[in-house]
Amino acid sequence: MEIAATIREPAEGLIFQGKKSVEPILKTENLWKLYRAGKVEVPALCGVNFEVLPGESVAVMGPSGCGKSSLLYVIGGLAQASRGKVLVDGNDLASLSDGARTKLRRHKIGFVFQRFNLLPTLTAKGNIAIAQFIHGDGFDPHRFDVVTQMLGLAGRLQHKPSELSGGEQQRVAIARAIINEPKILLADEPTGNLDSKNSEIVLQMLRQLNKDLGQTIVMITHNPEATTYFDRVVHMRDGIIVDGVPAD
Amino acid sequence: MMGELILRNLLHRPMRTLIGAMGIAVEVALVVLIVGLTSGLLSETAKRIEGIGADIMLQPPGSSYMLAFSSAPMPVKIGDKLAELKYVQSVAPVLFQFNTSGVEIVYGIDQESFRAVSGGFVFIQGHDLEDPDDILVDDIAAKTKKVQPGETYRIFDHDWHVAGIVEHGKGSRLFVPLATLQELVGARDKASIFFVKCTRPEHTEDVMQDMRHVLPGYTVRPLKDYLSLMTSTNIPGLEAFINAMIMLAITIGLLVIFLTMYTTVIERTRDIGVLKSLGANHWFVVRALLSESAALCLLGVGAGVGLSYAVRAGFLWKFPTLSILITSGWVLRAAGIALLGALLGASYPAWMASRKDAVEALSYD
Repeated sequence: MEIAATIREPAEGLIFQGKKSVEPILKTENLWKLYRAGKVEVPALCGVNFEVLPGESVAVMGPSGCGKSSLLYVIGGLAQASRGKVLVDGNDLASLSDGARTKLRRHKIGFVFQRFNLLPTLTAKGNIAIAQFIHGDGFDPHRFDVVTQMLGLAGRLQHKPSELSGGEQQRVAIARAIINEPKILLADEPTGNLDSKNSEIVLQMLRQLNKDLGQTIVMITHNPEATTYFDRVVHMRDGIIVDGVPAD
Repeated sequence: MMGELILRNLLHRPMRTLIGAMGIAVEVALVVLIVGLTSGLLSETAKRIEGIGADIMLQPPGSSYMLAFSSAPMPVKIGDKLAELKYVQSVAPVLFQFNTSGVEIVYGIDQESFRAVSGGFVFIQGHDLEDPDDILVDDIAAKTKKVQPGETYRIFDHDWHVAGIVEHGKGSRLFVPLATLQELVGARDKASIFFVKCTRPEHTEDVMQDMRHVLPGYTVRPLKDYLSLMTSTNIPGLEAFINAMIMLAITIGLLVIFLTMYTTVIERTRDIGVLKSLGANHWFVVRALLSESAALCLLGVGAGVGLSYAVRAGFLWKFPTLSILITSGWVLRAAGIALLGALLGASYPAWMASRKDAVEALSYD
């Protein structure tokens, strides 16, 4: 695919589940996250061991409150682990300062949220461009065109989020997340606010990103059908991973 | 990109932006007008005093530059002593009386000596002081008070006959006979000031030395320096008053910006979380908010300058005798003060925003 080749060479030949040929791009070791509610510490993650290989797409499933979002925020560097290790592309997040963690997030992580979280004052173009601006390399029109065309946003760039459909908003959010070519794309229930048609479009796009561009993706979802778009499904319960098998 | 973000944010809530900018505008206008009014009054007064055409003024010991603040009058006979000095061409005793109802100083003058010192009035209408109850009004005061020669004008509980309208710029706007004013205010044979005209301007210093010798302790000032001496720093309490007004203006601007930016940060909590998720650091968030505050301030400064000129035009229309001096120097200073206040006012909300927990911010509703 020409577009894909323009962005990044596809990751090929990766073997999962015990037959690893490369180092994991994301790894947690005995990861704990405790939240304080008054004088009580409430555990959200209770010793999670989790690995994601470069180019892999992983869906994390589990009931509400099982720690999925906490896992996503901790491995994305938005929240700090209480105990244990998080290695992102070889960097131990626990050993990094707040500033260094922010920098790592800026360069290696892309987030997609359930509620889109677009800046309401900016246009679709502005929402994508601001990620490039924060990244520090300035506006790259070529990269911008490639991403927006791939996500079918070319005709909607001058519209504000309030003028876009849910599916379009989420595609803008995906474009914003991948515009700086992050090593890992973290998606927190990206189809949670979408109807089935738009959900499918978004999931297909995530799969396209993974298959064509080799984008590593970790996605949280409640939707069992969504897992069919991913290489592997991980189930969580009560703050721990209970299994992790390749998807059908 | 930062510019676009700021512009879009400002346009997103136009009413809040308008109120914030108007707060700054009031701050700027307050500073510009307070300073403009005081410096305008001082400058205009100084020009009128200079316009008399004398070379030296003599006041009682410890007198203020502000003639209205002058202390107890001196005996008129001092004028005879001054007239005897070498190089003195003429001496004009003048009695000041502050008219509180019109906020103006009325000059009690001896026509002949005042004419000798000042070169005489330029009459637009009417004639010189002839009767004890005559009054001369300058053209600006005549326009403001809508008086014509032949009409009666009442001040100091006394009915005066308007004898003539004269061109402005000879010290006061209202002139009455010295003797009548002395009687009215109970200061017979007294004068508040003596204006001295030298035979040649270059003799001023010599005459001043002689005056200091003859009248030790009295205040002797050259009129050519009067304009430069009439500044707020030389007027007792005026500098403190201006500073107090500036502080009040800064407080208004600071509070307006603080409230505006505080509500902005609360409203944009989720957006701040989004920026952080994109990798924005503390400094980026602080910079974005301070820049927005500065942009709001610039809007306010522009509006404030416009407001200052509008208020000045309104005041001058209503009170033509007023002088409000708007200088570029003070406009820039007011802008600087407003900017400083805006940055101070926005600094706490910006700091608060930068310290927000990204995860909590993202889940904010």
